[in-house]
Amino acid sequence: MIPPRLLAAIAAALGFGAAVGGPFHAHAAAAPNHPRTTTPIEHLVVVMQENHTYDNYFGTYPRGDGLPRGVCMPLDPDRKGGRCVRPFHIGDNGIVPRDLDHSRSTYLGQLNGGRMDGFVRALERRNQDGRLAMAHYDGRDLPYYWNLADEYVLFDRFFSSSGAGSFLNHFYWVAGAPARSGDRISPAGVRGIPTIFDRLEEAGISWKFYVQNYEPRLTYRTVDRFPPNRASQVIWVPLLNIPRFIDDPRLNRHIVDLHEYYRDAARGRLPAVAFIAPSGPSEHPPSSVVSGQAFVRTLINQLVASPHWRRSAFLLTYDDWGGWYDHVRPPRVDAHGYGFRVPALLVSPYARRGHVDSVVHDFTSILRFIEDNWRLKPLAQRDRRASSIATGLDFGQPPRPPTFTSAVRSAPAPDELRARTALVYVLYGGAILLTAGLAVSASRRGKGRGSAPLGRRT
Amino acid sequence: MGTGEYVAELPVARAIGRLLPVSFARALAWIAYAGALGVAVVLRVWNLDALGYNSDEAVYAGQAASIAGIPELTPFFPVFRAHPLLFQTLHSLGYLVWQSDLLGRLLASAFGLGTVALVFGIARRLYGVPTAALASLVIALMPYHVVVSRQVLLDGPTTFFATLTLYFVARYSLERRPALLYVAGGAMGLSVLSKETSILIVGGAYAFFTLSPELGARLRHLLVALGVMLAVISTYPIALRMAGHASTGGNYLAYQLFRRPNHGWLFYPETVTMAMGPLVLAAAGAGLWLLRGRSSWRETLLLCWIAVPAAFFQLYPVKGFQYLLPAAPAVAILAARTLACWRPARARVLGGRVPSRWLAPVAVVGVLLSLALPTWERIQPRSSTTFLAGAGGVPGGREVGRWIRTHVPQGAQMLAIGPSMANILQFYGHRRAYGLSVGTNPLRRNPAYDPLPNPDRAIRTNEVQYIVWDAFSAARTPFFAGKLLQYVRRYNGRAVRTESVASSTRTGAQVRRPLIIVYAVRP
Repeated sequence: MIPPRLLAAIAAALGFGAAVGGPFHAHAAAAPNHPRTTTPIEHLVVVMQENHTYDNYFGTYPRGDGLPRGVCMPLDPDRKGGRCVRPFHIGDNGIVPRDLDHSRSTYLGQLNGGRMDGFVRALERRNQDGRLAMAHYDGRDLPYYWNLADEYVLFDRFFSSSGAGSFLNHFYWVAGAPARSGDRISPAGVRGIPTIFDRLEEAGISWKFYVQNYEPRLTYRTVDRFPPNRASQVIWVPLLNIPRFIDDPRLNRHIVDLHEYYRDAARGRLPAVAFIAPSGPSEHPPSSVVSGQAFVRTLINQLVASPHWRRSAFLLTYDDWGGWYDHVRPPRVDAHGYGFRVPALLVSPYARRGHVDSVVHDFTSILRFIEDNWRLKPLAQRDRRASSIATGLDFGQPPRPPTFTSAVRSAPAPDELRARTALVYVLYGGAILLTAGLAVSASRRGKGRGSAPLGRRT
Repeated sequence: MGTGEYVAELPVARAIGRLLPVSFARALAWIAYAGALGVAVVLRVWNLDALGYNSDEAVYAGQAASIAGIPELTPFFPVFRAHPLLFQTLHSLGYLVWQSDLLGRLLASAFGLGTVALVFGIARRLYGVPTAALASLVIALMPYHVVVSRQVLLDGPTTFFATLTLYFVARYSLERRPALLYVAGGAMGLSVLSKETSILIVGGAYAFFTLSPELGARLRHLLVALGVMLAVISTYPIALRMAGHASTGGNYLAYQLFRRPNHGWLFYPETVTMAMGPLVLAAAGAGLWLLRGRSSWRETLLLCWIAVPAAFFQLYPVKGFQYLLPAAPAVAILAARTLACWRPARARVLGGRVPSRWLAPVAVVGVLLSLALPTWERIQPRSSTTFLAGAGGVPGGREVGRWIRTHVPQGAQMLAIGPSMANILQFYGHRRAYGLSVGTNPLRRNPAYDPLPNPDRAIRTNEVQYIVWDAFSAARTPFFAGKLLQYVRRYNGRAVRTESVASSTRTGAQVRRPLIIVYAVRP
């Protein structure tokens, strides 16, 4: 007997299911009309996490340009033959992750004039344990990201746009240019810089900036009134530093809480361009990379299960290097950048499977893709010259079916499995043959001798 | 008295013989046997694929698919799980050419049909053709045997091999040729390789030879037969050890020995009595008393075949609907013996004196009808929201599973109320499914099932993206059903697929009741 409350709950859920248009997998809800795109991609979702380098996340990944063999970072680059630190798995040596300094001066110290040998010393000069710069994660810690790299596109020449911290890099992410206030929030706000969202708005192309735990009252004007740890919203959502995106309701309505992303995806109403800023699970050291992966997995899974999947792309990247070691010297393109490499993964039904893309990219490569795909004017020199992230896509292949990438890293062993099943056939087949052979033998003997007559019924 | 003379003395044969030439009476019995086979075929294939697999069927078919190397199912159904693999191995050969639910059930039905033929063979040698024809009709129509042998379960094949063992033991007892006993040993081994619980039949055989010293069975012959049986059975541990799963069988045995009772003392009297047919059981029992003057080792053999497993499972705390199926053929033969041999001196029917020769055919027709009607009813597709394990397919399970396969992204993971629905979802949906009721304590759970240690966390971290509620499990375990719906509410559950069934309310209104609901959940 099913309790009435249980039935009521089921009925309510059924009603709810009907209200939202039934299976979210069906293409029930009509997506907003978009102008035609130059590629099959009609929805781009971009997530910017925090503070890791390529070598820090993928340095020991089997493919791509990872940690060089034999590298050892000197404690003092000016002393030849002095002590050095080799890359080590984070957690070894009793060293746990912490927030490493990632200011412009530390960047320059670690770059050390292009010699790439100041990673330990620059942190030591900040009174931090410089050895930590050489720590790295691997597939045990990042099973989901490594699995994504196996299945989709991993960029191993994706540089942060600026050799500085979060604020500048986030501005490159949306505007292709630095904020004039430098690498910090300005009490006067940021003016006179067009963003990609201005372009999209002008062209009538849908866009949203989804913010996890969004606090609409928290902008560059009010940041002092909130606890310091909430200031990240203003840094990670650059639009909250630009007065027109705060004051103009037509623009401000596009900045919404992240829960709308899940709802929009489920209903088939994702905008053409969606930027996402995290809150807690940003992977900013020392926060957990496990929760960061779970957060990103939820976002990607929601897109994969949505009606948009066949026409979408999802880019995951990191805003700056966070003080960690990376062995590739960044190309110098202007006074600000590039910065060190950051991890970047592109997930799409058109992504090349297990492809390592070594074309030089930075955050403005995302802008370049948007501009190319939706036929928009460039914003600045950087994005005009940038290569598009479309290098990771192959539109000649049919779209791949929706698949949730596993959060567990394991390799099947088909040969071993085949051997076991062959064993089953041999042994069980032998048992049947043995019995059948005995039956045939008994039958022949019986024919030869004839059935023994029963003397009397016993 | 030889078998031929014994047959000629049978009341039914005498009754028919008075009316017809004896040769024609014998032909009639053979026609009845052919009819029994025909009825057996019809009842075992009618609507065979109307409902999808239940949990156990899904597991065995999944194992067969894994043995055959079907890549979509291999990740969800390990080859080495709980039981031996004889039936699954035979089934896997079919998978190599045709992936279909129907194929597995046809194979199971073929074993059922083989059992009907064996029942005829045994009864013919023990009691003659008329009794054999009746016995084969009884087993062909018996709801218990029909229902179980229509499913991809191990009990149909194990019953076939146990009946094959009975056949060769009966022949050995008649012919005294040791080679027949050795074949019986091999058949017994195959029965155990189908399902290990049939090892209890060995106890029945032991009891029979102990209670029938007049047969003069030689210890040497018995030991050789035992050796053959052990050689065949050794396939199971050897395969486990060579595949690196030496602890698998032991873990399952330990679980079965120490698990909590799943049914009460009246389970078998209530369910199996009705499934075998109360009149059949009454006829079998009555014959033992009424025909006690003719008792011989034959009845001892059949009784031992029934009593040992029945007594064991009645006392054993873990009970399953289909566990007593190997005893059904012996019950059918005993009942047929009564119907064929018993002739009352006189009987009073409808207030007048009725010739006794009519009573036996009336009893036969009555017993057969008492089997045929419930059997016909039970092989129709059901639309109930409750379910007894082993009693048939699960409405809606296949449909939801196939929907999942085509609409839910590959790699998705699901949480169901219990492992039964989880097995069905994995088989048809090709997606990993966990049962919420599967505990993490290894002493308290079936080692074949993987628990989800922290379902709440798994949903929060998006390792589990779907929750599946089903009416069958909810009726059995309201606690876990309620817990599951808590997760639905807590994690933004949205119903994305509902399988429902039409049913009537107390007022007679037609409503659709949900059978299975799939929810998408997210942190």
